[in-house]
Amino acid sequence: MFAYTVRRLLQIIPLLFAASVVIYALLALQPGDPLDELRRQNPRMTAEQFEALKRAYGLDQPLHIRYFKWLSRALRGDLGYSRTYGIPAAEYIFVQRLPKTLILSGLALTLALVVAIPVGIFSAVRQYSLADYVITFLSFVGFSMPVFFLGILLLYFFAIWLPDHIPGFPRFPTGGVPGVLWEDVRSGAVSLWAFLGQWAWHLVLPVVTLASLQMAEWTRFMRASLLEVLSQDYIRTARAKGLSERVVLYKHALRNALIPIVTLVGLAIPGVLGGATITETIFSYPGMGRAIFDALVEKDYNVAMAALAFLALMTALFNLLADLAYALVDPRIRYS
Amino acid sequence: MATATASPQSRTFFSLFWRRLRRHKMAMAGLVVIVLLVLMAIFAPLIAPYDPTAQPTGEDVGQYYFNPPSREHLLGTDDLGRDVLSRIIYGSRISLLVGFAVAFSSVLLGTLMGTLAGYYAGRPLRFYLGPLRREKEGFHPWTFALWRVLSWFLYYGALYLVLSIAWALAEDGIRAGSLGSYLGFGLTLALVLWAAWYGLKGQIRLDLDVAISRLIDFMLTIPTLPLLLVLSALLRDPEVAVGRWAQGVFGDAASVFIIIFILVLFGWLGTARLVRGSILSLREQDYATAAQALGASDFRIMFRHLVPNTLAPIIVQATLQIGGAILTEAALSFLGFGIQPPVATWGNMLTNAQEYIFTAPWLALPPGFMIFITVLAFNYLGDGLRDALDPRSRL
Repeated sequence: MFAYTVRRLLQIIPLLFAASVVIYALLALQPGDPLDELRRQNPRMTAEQFEALKRAYGLDQPLHIRYFKWLSRALRGDLGYSRTYGIPAAEYIFVQRLPKTLILSGLALTLALVVAIPVGIFSAVRQYSLADYVITFLSFVGFSMPVFFLGILLLYFFAIWLPDHIPGFPRFPTGGVPGVLWEDVRSGAVSLWAFLGQWAWHLVLPVVTLASLQMAEWTRFMRASLLEVLSQDYIRTARAKGLSERVVLYKHALRNALIPIVTLVGLAIPGVLGGATITETIFSYPGMGRAIFDALVEKDYNVAMAALAFLALMTALFNLLADLAYALVDPRIRYS
Repeated sequence: MATATASPQSRTFFSLFWRRLRRHKMAMAGLVVIVLLVLMAIFAPLIAPYDPTAQPTGEDVGQYYFNPPSREHLLGTDDLGRDVLSRIIYGSRISLLVGFAVAFSSVLLGTLMGTLAGYYAGRPLRFYLGPLRREKEGFHPWTFALWRVLSWFLYYGALYLVLSIAWALAEDGIRAGSLGSYLGFGLTLALVLWAAWYGLKGQIRLDLDVAISRLIDFMLTIPTLPLLLVLSALLRDPEVAVGRWAQGVFGDAASVFIIIFILVLFGWLGTARLVRGSILSLREQDYATAAQALGASDFRIMFRHLVPNTLAPIIVQATLQIGGAILTEAALSFLGFGIQPPVATWGNMLTNAQEYIFTAPWLALPPGFMIFITVLAFNYLGDGLRDALDPRSRL
């Protein structure tokens, strides 16, 4: 197990190297270079000044040289500056954006999990009942629904239509984050409950939007997984021994049915860190997904590169963690 | 199907399959929806009341913009006065085209890669043979000799590239007399020289399975959505060779082609994994050994004997992928990185929808609803196909 872990960790290194090369190359090949903006803002710039600027930014060197220079700096922890915001890219990504994304996507993931597991169990236990059909239909709706359409629908009904037509119906915010900051709570200007309430109020719609797809997928997965386990011989044995249905279900079946869910959740976590570009766009929420999108549009390549490399690292790490967790909860699996 | 009621002997595979599929009510409903959508796409010019790209002209065009649904425009008009219903009808052409083309091509590519990986797993192919190495076996086809020569150029070319990168990186440092640069460059030089010497008489074997599986792992590591955005922007640019070529061949529809290409690039991974898994177990079956004993070529065993036995999951995968591709196209177009106006697609009709929702909700709801219904239909059909094609399921 230890040797396996070390081997997998070592395999991550070439994987990340290749991923960062591809991402860097694609960003560098994008139409227009970062200096175009400067030249447009200052049309009186002479050709010599432009060349000097190009040399200052290192843009006169060939692509592979630029990549290795970026790599050697990045390995020493220097990810460069954001061109748009004028602050270190690492600070922008990890201090300003990542925590907000963790709140939004983390809540969505938790909500999806908390709903999907009991509903999936219920659906499997009552297979072919009316409730099962309704749940199955809803989960099909859930993963056929485009995220942006669901977001827009929720926005339309909860922020416009219902408040307009039903008197007294609360008008949900159309997006953004509340104006109150954590500093206000610490200085005592706003109470903790008001702070949490404001955030919850703003987060309801985006969290539901983001959670729906995963909720639908996991419900269906949980149902299939439990049904598979329930048809095993050892479940028949347990029932034949005269164990109560409760014990059979929760002690014998559910524990085994949950094993694949562990992998699924592990694989979903890098997606959480990457943010949700579409949900964040609809609700104008300042998270990672939106940060990457804006960096790509504004050619803020230090930011894009830092964020994407971080995501690739996390994806590789959580893939490994999911495999290890799988072996940990299921003694039938041994890695060598 | 008349054959469905015939005696058991006359039941063909297809009639059996059709009987099972018909019992799945939602799958049949999905099939009906899909047939209707395809008919709508084919007969779009006959059904659509207006030209989907025609903008009103003349004085005071502003009065035609953002019209709510009315008798003339059943679903209203958009920000440029175009008829929304006509755009929805024409949009079905693009969405279905993207869905079918992406699913078909990715399944084809995925099956090919998965078959190669599964069949050659643990049987490494000789990938490189040094120029001075003598071969033990006598006869090889001339293509192998050609590949042998070509691979020397690739091998030594790669070594040259490594050396030139190392020199470019270390040059400044060496001029300035930095010890680290000397060491780094010296180490690289030693490694390259060793590889050059080894390459003369050595050989490199390549396990296709390892190569393809690593490639899949690698592609799954890269964050997909940002990469799709970057690729889309890169390939659409008319200053880049691919963009110029696509623009020349497809004109306005160039972005459609580019989106299909990008989605296929990431779409084959799932099928490849699936096929690899089944080929791995199928190749150990007796009939595969028998075919080998009869002297069938690798190619024949793979594609005449093994692949037909994996078709059931592949068909299910393809059906589900049509829905997935339509969703991804719509998401990219929603963000403005997909298919470009004036071509109407359900996705790009939703661009800016979250702003219009307050003033003109009729613009946002119909395209979203169409995407939802289409994807739902394909998902149900895929589910029904899975049950109908799986001999273990009791229907």
